[in-house]
Amino acid sequence: MTVSGGAHSRGMTNTEALRLDEVRKVHGADGNQVVALAGVTLSLPAGTFTAVMGPSGSGKSTLLQCAAGLERPTGGRVFVAGHEMKGDETELTKFRREHIGFVFQHFNLLPALTVLQNVTLPLRLAGRRVDEARAAEVLRAVGLGDRLSHRPQELSGGQQQRVAIARALVASPSVIFADEPTGALDTRSARAVLALLQQAVRTYGQTLVMVTHDPVAAAHADSVLFLADGRLVGRMIDPTAEAVAERLTHLGDELVRKGA
Amino acid sequence: MFALALSSLRHRTAVFVAAFLALFFGAALVMSFGSLTDTALGAGVDAASEETLVIMGSVVGGWSLLLVVFAVTSTVTLGVRQRTKEIALLKSAGAVPGQLTRMILAEVLVLALVGAALAVPLGTAGGNLVLGLLQDSGQVEAGIAHSFGAVALGQGFGITLLSAAGAALITARRVTRMRVTESMGEAAAPRARMTGWRVGAGLLFLAGAASLAVLTVTLGKGAGFEAQQYAGTADILFALGLACFAPVIVRRLPLPGFGTAGALARETLRARSAPLAAALTPVVLFIGMGVGTLYMQDLDGEASAGLLPEEGQRTIETLNYVVTGMVSLFLCIMLINTLVASTAARTREFAQYRLAGATPGQVQRMAVLEGLAVTVAGVVLGTLASLVTILPFSYARTGTWTPDLDPFIYPATVALTAAVVLATSLLATRRALAVPVVSAVAV
Repeated sequence: MTVSGGAHSRGMTNTEALRLDEVRKVHGADGNQVVALAGVTLSLPAGTFTAVMGPSGSGKSTLLQCAAGLERPTGGRVFVAGHEMKGDETELTKFRREHIGFVFQHFNLLPALTVLQNVTLPLRLAGRRVDEARAAEVLRAVGLGDRLSHRPQELSGGQQQRVAIARALVASPSVIFADEPTGALDTRSARAVLALLQQAVRTYGQTLVMVTHDPVAAAHADSVLFLADGRLVGRMIDPTAEAVAERLTHLGDELVRKGA
Repeated sequence: MFALALSSLRHRTAVFVAAFLALFFGAALVMSFGSLTDTALGAGVDAASEETLVIMGSVVGGWSLLLVVFAVTSTVTLGVRQRTKEIALLKSAGAVPGQLTRMILAEVLVLALVGAALAVPLGTAGGNLVLGLLQDSGQVEAGIAHSFGAVALGQGFGITLLSAAGAALITARRVTRMRVTESMGEAAAPRARMTGWRVGAGLLFLAGAASLAVLTVTLGKGAGFEAQQYAGTADILFALGLACFAPVIVRRLPLPGFGTAGALARETLRARSAPLAAALTPVVLFIGMGVGTLYMQDLDGEASAGLLPEEGQRTIETLNYVVTGMVSLFLCIMLINTLVASTAARTREFAQYRLAGATPGQVQRMAVLEGLAVTVAGVVLGTLASLVTILPFSYARTGTWTPDLDPFIYPATVALTAAVVLATSLLATRRALAVPVVSAVAV
């Protein structure tokens, strides 16, 4: 990536970007309750790339949604860049657009807007000054400099995901959450997207939390958190795909043993 | 394929409800006036009563038929287009265009049959109501019993089935022949298209309106209230003609200012023009016909003030009010219908705006501004259409091109339209926003 002036000092310091304090999430009404998160506590320093892994039903998507302010936890507290996340829907929205960026499996770009308009949308909604030159520069950096006035549906999946990443980067949020960002992509596009996410952390000093079920994707992160039955059950620093896959397999064994 | 068609009826509730209501109320409206012809054909009807009933049944029945064809076509088209993505998925699963067209046609025909069958009681009641009014004012003999027969059933079922099937076939042909990738894009941003038949029909309607306006000032001059037979339909034809050009108009609607929400509404008007063009149509018709007919009746009343009403004049007056009332109600339902269906289809899009940082209030403002743009455009075009009736009629009846018009009818009609559009978009958007963001974007 060749963006100048875009790197933030945030990554260099050792401040806390995200903290979860005993976060619980229970779905369903009385008598038919499902515990999705059974009290998760964690702290992630700024400028780090963390993958969250676990078998399906482990609560990893719920964890991301609670941490990103898309779902309200049943109990516990969430802090982003030192600020507690709370308030009604409008306050939460304002908090999110100030502090949080998203990259989703299905991109969630607005079909009525062009690529450039999609990238500047969060800034416009927040009433912030829109620097189109910088947005175009970030789009060039993700390899889409010649697609500024296309609409998302005219692009391939991999290209759409790169637009989504550019959109998250332009607002320079405190944390970017990526939910299965490579889930809908072919291997080649997936690798390009992962390299881009990695660069976002290294070059821009972004903080990134990625939920994935793919050990290869997780291996791009600095560390991997393992989740099972709504609890954090392990952590791996400098992961490799093989080590992550093995750990996941044993996670399954442990669960079966515990259940037996 | 038929089972598949039925199961698909259960999804996409809002747009099916919209198409169903258009078919149901449309059939009821057509049946109401058709049953007057049935009544006229019955035994023991005197000549004067028969003439009144036949005029009602054929003239009013005739152009309410036009409105119903338009309403049914527009909702069915909207419904088929909203399913572009589903159709693309079926195609990628191996369905050929012929199968898909048959599936869509089967669905629409089931809907039309059920809608028309259920409309029979309402159509009977509507016909009874108009007959009762005609009898109360002495234009039809009191002893004549209402009859609901072959004409009502034939027109009611015929018009709804034919217009629904026609619209389904035309739209399905286009949608099912698209390449899969193309239809994915179309599903994401449905653009209204100015097709050849739209241009043709539009020009035909406008020409019809122009010739009626000319007839009003030539043959209608000095003909007293009878000038209404030319003037009365001019506004409807002109409004229908303008409505045919709705796709090009919506894309060019000016909407100045209003900050970020305004800018987003402008983008939506350009990129998602199809549903907004569908909403513009009933507004133009409502204003054009409502304002035109009410002022025409008002001018007629003024011109004959102090004189004994001529034979037939009262029939026309009753006809104007009852019919304006029934047709306006129908158009109002169509308007609400179209807005609710097209807003419900945007639940996911609204959630995507929310994820990009839009507060619920910003999304609301954007949707209401789109509604406002459509209302303003509809009022301007509808006013133009109403003038095609009002001005020639004023010249024919009172000799002046610049009549003194009642100062309340126009603002009241415009205010009612604006209230309906804005309240509906507000409530429908609020409902779409009530779906949690995370589940609204889940595929």
